[in-house]
Amino acid sequence: MDEPELIRAAQQGDQRAFEQLVRLYDQSVLRLATNLLRSPEEANDIYQEAFLRVYKNLHTFRFDCSFHTWLYRIVSNLCLDALRKRKVRREESSVVETSEGLLDRMDTVQERRADSDPERQLESQQLKQRIQEVLGGLTPRERAVFEMRHYQGMRLRTIGEVMGTSEEAAKNCLFRATQKMRAALGDFV
Amino acid sequence: MTCEEARKNLPLFLYGELSFDEEEQVEVHVDECAACRLALAREKALFGALDGAEMVPPPELLEESRAELRRRLGLAGRTMRAPGIWDKFREGFTVRFHFAPGIAQVAGAAAMLLLGFLTARVAPNSFLGNWHSAGVLAEPTTSRVRYVEPLAPGRVQIVIDETHQRVLSGSVDDQAIQRLLLTAAKDQSDAGLRVESVDLLKNNSQSAEIRTALVYALEHDSNAGVRLKALDGLKQFADDPNTRQALTQVLLTDDNPGVRTQVIDLLVQRHTEAMVGVLQELMEKEDNGYIRMRCQKVLQEMNASAETY
Repeated sequence: MDEPELIRAAQQGDQRAFEQLVRLYDQSVLRLATNLLRSPEEANDIYQEAFLRVYKNLHTFRFDCSFHTWLYRIVSNLCLDALRKRKVRREESSVVETSEGLLDRMDTVQERRADSDPERQLESQQLKQRIQEVLGGLTPRERAVFEMRHYQGMRLRTIGEVMGTSEEAAKNCLFRATQKMRAALGDFV
Repeated sequence: MTCEEARKNLPLFLYGELSFDEEEQVEVHVDECAACRLALAREKALFGALDGAEMVPPPELLEESRAELRRRLGLAGRTMRAPGIWDKFREGFTVRFHFAPGIAQVAGAAAMLLLGFLTARVAPNSFLGNWHSAGVLAEPTTSRVRYVEPLAPGRVQIVIDETHQRVLSGSVDDQAIQRLLLTAAKDQSDAGLRVESVDLLKNNSQSAEIRTALVYALEHDSNAGVRLKALDGLKQFADDPNTRQALTQVLLTDDNPGVRTQVIDLLVQRHTEAMVGVLQELMEKEDNGYIRMRCQKVLQEMNASAETY
């Protein structure tokens, strides 16, 4: 079955089609949420909420846009809400205190590149930490646009559709985000 | 274009988000301006650093999230699936109970009991080899009544063919596991299954059999997600003549611009004379701005015309 057939079957209550639909996109949804929220627990919460919403509202999907855009609209709205709430409660550190000492929850998440040279590993750790700080300093919208463009490889036009704005506005948002990152990370690279 | 304008556009240039003309202007400016070339190099380094900071959720997190979603959708303990013969069979009884209580209900209940008895007896465990069987689901995935034989008055014997699901786990390097993945990678009824299978296989593309399967998926799979995963696995073999031939064909025929974009990026890393004709042919029909730009640039570098005469 191709994607439109899967969607139609899932709309008619075919559970297996729904599961296939989830599996087409759930890895990238989890990846986006993990990168945006930098917390595995919150990423899982977004994953659950997003697909439950898709499940409940799939009958309202009318193929006016691609399913990918529709799904990402749900995911990005949930992520933006979570980021905004977090701003209100103050930016949370990923480091938590456990009975065995301090633990960085993000250590459970794999970095894309590993380095065996200890010196480079240290530099890479420092850079990673700096990047986290810079990302934390972006506005939720800038962060979402950046994540979708840089890590998910989505085109700005699609990002605009997902965020309910124009391609131009998404471009400006990306521009501001990269400018801030260049200013903050210029000495490291 | 001034230095200020060029530098402002560098991130969008690297993201491929400038128009064809803007991109040309940046390229021309950078070619002529050493300071902006340096700025571009720094921008690329920044992009590289950001690439390295991407967080990839561990596979366990994905599995946990999927299991939790199943639970929350009330589908714990079984795979979400389309209604099969089993469902229709069971549904048939439900309808009859509703409209015709009495003797039909008793007969139906007896048949269900017999079915339960038969189901409980089915659990062959023989062909597992080195794999670990994580569990056999109690409910049959598909079920078919083979024949019905009346016995004494009021009694019946029903023979049922059933297929059960079994969960297997093992190393992706295990040849037996790889064979199952190769089969799943060709399952035309399930694009999600093919995406995941190809994703797992692509890390073992040194195997000729797997590489052949990846090439087949790249050339023939109807789902672009599967084709992109297959392409990932073939990247390291871009210089292999057979793979290169397949990539060339895909570049000319694939209807998905995302796939074509990745293929051209891969192919143009090495300039060969054979590429000229392919790129010229592509220039005649390609409507994607990025791909056209890449084509044109390579043809220029190879001192070839962008057109055929």
